[in-house]
Parts: sequence; structure tokens; C-alpha cells
Amino acid sequence: MIQPFTSDPLRWVAEDGQPIRELPARFTPEVLRDLHREMVRAREFDKKLVTLLRQGRTTFYAQASGMEATQVGLARSIRVGHDWVWPYYRDHALGLAMGVPMLDLVSQCLGTNSDLCRGRQMPHHFGATRQNFVSISSSIASQVPPAAGNAMAQKYLGTDELTVCTFGDGATSEGDWHAGMNMAGAYGAPCLFVCENNQWAISTNLRAQTASESIHIKAKAYGMPGYYVDGNDIVAVMEVLSHVAQDVRSGKGPALVECLTYRVGSHSNADADAEKNYRTREEVNAWLARDPIVRVERLLEHLGAPVSAEERADLITATHREVDEAVLAAEATGQPDWRIVFEDVYADTPVHLREQAAFLREEQTALTDGAVRA
Amino acid sequence: MTATQPKPAASSAGETRVLTLIQAITEAMAEELARDERVVVFGEDVGARGGVFLATAGLQEQFGQKRVFDTPLSEASIVGAAVGMAVRGLRPIAEIQFADYMGPGFDQIISQAAKIRYRSGGQFTAPLVIRTPSGGGVKGGHHHSQSPESYFAHTPGLKVVMPSTPYDAKGLLKAAVRGGDPVIYFEPKRLYRAAKGEVPAGDYTVEIGQGAVRREGSDLTIIGYGGVMPDAEKAAQALAAEGVHAEVIDLRSLVPWDRDLVLTSVSKTGRAVLVSEAPRTSNFMGEVAYVIQEQLFDQLLAPVMQVAGFDTPYPYVQDKVYLPGANRIAAACVRVLNY
Ligand SMILES: Cc1ncc(C[n+]2csc(CCOP(=O)(O)OP(=O)(O)O)c2C)c(N)n1
Repeated sequence: MIQPFTSDPLRWVAEDGQPIRELPARFTPEVLRDLHREMVRAREFDKKLVTLLRQGRTTFYAQASGMEATQVGLARSIRVGHDWVWPYYRDHALGLAMGVPMLDLVSQCLGTNSDLCRGRQMPHHFGATRQNFVSISSSIASQVPPAAGNAMAQKYLGTDELTVCTFGDGATSEGDWHAGMNMAGAYGAPCLFVCENNQWAISTNLRAQTASESIHIKAKAYGMPGYYVDGNDIVAVMEVLSHVAQDVRSGKGPALVECLTYRVGSHSNADADAEKNYRTREEVNAWLARDPIVRVERLLEHLGAPVSAEERADLITATHREVDEAVLAAEATGQPDWRIVFEDVYADTPVHLREQAAFLREEQTALTDGAVRA
Repeated sequence: MTATQPKPAASSAGETRVLTLIQAITEAMAEELARDERVVVFGEDVGARGGVFLATAGLQEQFGQKRVFDTPLSEASIVGAAVGMAVRGLRPIAEIQFADYMGPGFDQIISQAAKIRYRSGGQFTAPLVIRTPSGGGVKGGHHHSQSPESYFAHTPGLKVVMPSTPYDAKGLLKAAVRGGDPVIYFEPKRLYRAAKGEVPAGDYTVEIGQGAVRREGSDLTIIGYGGVMPDAEKAAQALAAEGVHAEVIDLRSLVPWDRDLVLTSVSKTGRAVLVSEAPRTSNFMGEVAYVIQEQLFDQLLAPVMQVAGFDTPYPYVQDKVYLPGANRIAAACVRVLNY
């Protein structure tokens, strides 16, 4: 039985790869290899996107390095395309593992014509209808009340879907977070709230964020169970999340799962010197030693099915090629032109917007830089 | 420079330096923290990190964690706490990380900060400053580029300020800290480092409610504020090359705004072009246009024209097209001149 409200994070695999609890039978070497592959893919995606940033081909990126077990584990614990997800902006490992095509994700980051979000949003704020992966919003915690509403609709409609809502630890300070948690609790909505507690909100540490000893205990106030998990142990993440998802789906109401993890990189490219400014090298190193990818490699070693250096190198090369191809394909579609400014504002474009669009069309065709029209 | 443009006043040491807009803002906070122990500076990441744009860089080191501190990630808490502190006698300078994120703090701003003086018959007041980077031009998409000033200009009880020069940034921020009212102080983020200018090393204030003439002219008046000012001046320069003399006015404050300055200028030129990057509908400049036509109906030689943002969310890829640049402003001027 998996217990809520534990004082320590639930774990299955120790940092050295030794199982601490009996390894559930479903975690065969093949399954673990699949999880490993998906985590490496997300990690290498991070590296490639940082390179694209340096090359000036995109303007913003928020890494998820270090958080892959939480996100990939979540993706593998729900019914993709059946359940609904209200993610936050650091969730590309989740999106990739849910099957959002690389081309779609890269196109969004580059804002090309192939971007399903049509170049409206900042890079890294993707959305995908096929996966029920609702477009990401920058505004912290603003997805939480809508996620509660999405789950209320699922209950109302009598589906067996559930809603997943993810957020960082910082998000739990916003009024919207409390409002959404309370709403879901009061209505008994099938919402699975997942806190990706990477312990920092830009430069603000969890200790300055809240006087609570943890995030998951806040669930108590909203009348739902709260679970505490080692977010760098993908076995633990999947064991707890699939158990909790089953409860939520079967009508027991919402639940909160706190995955304790760490973002080893900077908050985003706008925050390049995290170490210099607000956190210590020692802290980062301590968490690097708990790397979720390395942990699965050690577990596989322990099971006598190690990932060879060659296999790992192949995985890395394959991902780099996958991203490179997506970048070329996306860039070949060009940048959306001025028309995207006026489309999708309303269902029917009202007359004042049609006028403004006509004005811009005329300006774009007639006005060349530096010229003043008489 | 004209009579209405305050000269960089000689400070005690008589020294002026060239600063960027953001340096002037930091300096204003440092001097106010040093001047008055009741001044406190707080918000998300303003402490060790020094703010995401580094506006508060070094302040925590200099003044300690009691005076300059990080808050939980909650704009409602930041603004609401600022109100409570101000009521209890402190002088809070709260930072909202981006103007786009005033949303979660909106109720505290309009229900508490703006109304406590009125609803208590003046028994309780909340003199505080909310600083926030606003406007576009930095490839931020709609959650990092909006210009929400009209929401606040629409709410009685708030003062609304937006500097475009380092000199004004320092003087207006000091005036805001020392005044008796809640002030929403918008910082046009694309000018943080792009706008450079002379700033006195010592103490001075710029009165909230006074505009400034940036350039004198007789043929028409261009009126703007904040991030559009460099483009307004560029447009005026381009027109000058064609023999047209535009007067350029920087409002500097929206509430209250300098009606006298605007009306004096437009009654001289007979033509007005109003520039802002906020969406056109319910744009604050609509109010300025209304007052011009009400007061100067007989003297206008052409309809008042507005150059504004489009009535769409701020786009990411087409961010340059969205902003009213010098060309769009100049084209509007030409239309008004040819009316
Ligand atoms: C309402 C709102 N306020 C402020 C910001 C600026 N901001 C962007 S990310 C961030 C920190 C978020 O931290 P957390 O929720 O812990 O997620 P993490 O980035 O650590 O994964 C802040 C303050 C924002 N995007 N939205």
C-alpha cells in the first residue's frame, strides 16, 4: 500500500542503483531501457536547444535537465491522448515522452510556419491537441484553476478520464494555486496535481517560498491525499503516480503528488549564472550525483543488463540527428508573416480588427524602412 | 531641451553622470533606502539575484535582508502586503517581475491600494510604489510584452507613471516614494539599457503630473510616453528633414497627466498625433484625444490621430510589426498634415 503524507520521499531505487524495496515485476530491463532512452532524449534535447539559443535561432529556453525521471515517469503513468494535461513551461520532457512530435516541439521553439501555436507564444510554450496537452502559459499557476475545471467537466460528463496539472514549487505560493486546489477538492474532481519540486523558483529557494515543511502536506487543507516521492527515482515516480492516478480515475477525488527533484541548469537563458548569484556549486554537485539517468543505468547494471557506452553514444547521436532534422524541416517552412497577428483573436474577426489588418497589409506592402510617405 | 524640460539640476556636488534608465532606477532606490529607514524593497528574486533585469542589483548587499528581500511567488501577496505595510507606516517599493503578471495582484491594487484612503475617509492611506517592467520589443510574446497601463489609469486612487529617460526615471521614482499615494511605476523594459542620459549624482525629484517637451516645433504635436518616445523623436527628425517641425511631448505621467502642456502645444500647432504601444481600444490616449477635441475643437486643423498597438494579444514572432515604430508614427503625422 502506498501511503500519503510520509515525512520522507518514497523511493524504490537508491542512488547507487540498488533497489530499496522489491522492484515491481513490470520494471523489466526492456522497460527500464525504454525509460532510459526517453530520459536521455530529453536531456540531449536540452543540450541542442541551448546550442540553438547560442546560435540565435531561438530566444528563450528553460531546461529540464535533472527532472527527467519526474516528467518521463508521469508520461508513462497516464493514458496519453485520453487523459488531459495542463502543463507548465518546463515540461518538454513530459511532452516528448507523451509523443508530441519532435518537429512540433522544435517548430514552436523556433516560431516557424510549422508551429501549431502559430508563432504567437514565446519559445518552449507548446501545446498539442492529439496528446490533450494544453498550450503552456507563462503566467505561473494560472493553469491550476482551469485544470480543476477540466476535471470537473470530466466528472460531469461521466468519463473515465483524469486531468493532470503540473507546476513548480514556486507556483504553490500563488493564489490561483490555492483556488484551483480548493475547487477541485470541493467538487471531488478527478485532478492529479503534480508538483515538480525542483527547489528553486528562479533565485528563490523553497525555504523562502513557504514555511511549510513540504508541498505535499498542503493537500490536507484541501481535503485530498498528498504524496511525497523521490522525483529522481523513475520507479518511485511511476509506482506512486500510477497508483494515485488509479484512485483519482476511480472517483476518489483529486490528489497531490510532490516529486522532489532538482533543476541542475539555470532557470532559463535569462538567468545564466545561477551558481554565481544564488546557489552553491556544492549543492549543484550533490544533486548531479543523484542524476536520474545515471540511477537507471546503475539499476540496469545491478540487474545484469548494463547500457553499454556504445549504446549510450548511439542514443545521443540519434537524438541530435532527430533535433537537427526537425530544425531544418521547421526552418524550411519560414516565419509566419504579419497575418498571424490578427487571426485567432476571436472566433469571427470583428470589423475593427479587419480594419487594423487592412492597415497593416497596406503598410507592409507600401512602406519601406526609412521612407516617410507623403 | 526647452523650458519645460527640467535641466539636470545641479546636485550638491554639482556632478552629473551618464546612466542607463535601469541604473537610474537602481540609484533612486539606493538613495531612498539610505534617506528613509521606512523604505523597504521587495518582490520576486529582488534579493541576491538583484531582480531578473538587475534593477535591484547590489541593494540587498548594501542594505541587508531586512530592507531588501525576496517574497514568495505571489503578486497578490506582494501587493497586498505592500498595502498593509504602507498602512502601518512603511514606504514599500514592491517589484512585480513583469507588468504582465500584475493580474494575480490586480484585486489588491484596485480594491485595496486604490481605495483605502477614500473608503476610510482619509483615516488610512497606502503610499506605496509598485515598479514593473512593461512594454514590448524584447521578443517576449504576450506574457512578457504587454502594456497594461490603461487598466490602472482607469482606476481612481492610483497614480500612474512611465518615464522614458534616466533623468526622469530617477526623479519620478523618488517623487513616487515620497508622495502620499499608491503609484504604479511602469518601466519600459526595452529602454532599460538603450536609454542613456545625464543624471545628477544627488537628490532631486520630478513632479508626478508634469510632462516634458522633448523637441519644439510649430506644425504638429506628437504626444507619447514610455517605450515609444525614441521612435516619436526619430519620426520628428525624419519630418524635420522634409521641412516639417513637429513638437514632441513626453507625458511621463498618465495619472495625473499634464493637460496644460498638451493643450498649450496643440493650440499652437493645431494638430496632434498620439502614440502609445498599448492596444487601441480603451487606450489611455483615447482620453487625451477626447480632452484635446473638447478643449480645442475650434483650433484643430485636422482630426487628432492615434498610433497604437493593435487590438490583439502581443505576438511573439511579429513583435516588430506590432510595435508602432518611427515609420508608422511619421506616416500618421503626414496624414494629419495633409488633411
Ligand atoms: C504570475 C507570474 N509571476 C512571475 C512570473 C515570472 N517567473 C517565471 S518562472 C518563475 C519561477 C517559477 O518557479 P517554479 O514555479 O518553482 O517553477 P520552476 O521554474 O522552478 O520549474 C517566475 C517567478 C511568471 N511567469 N508568472
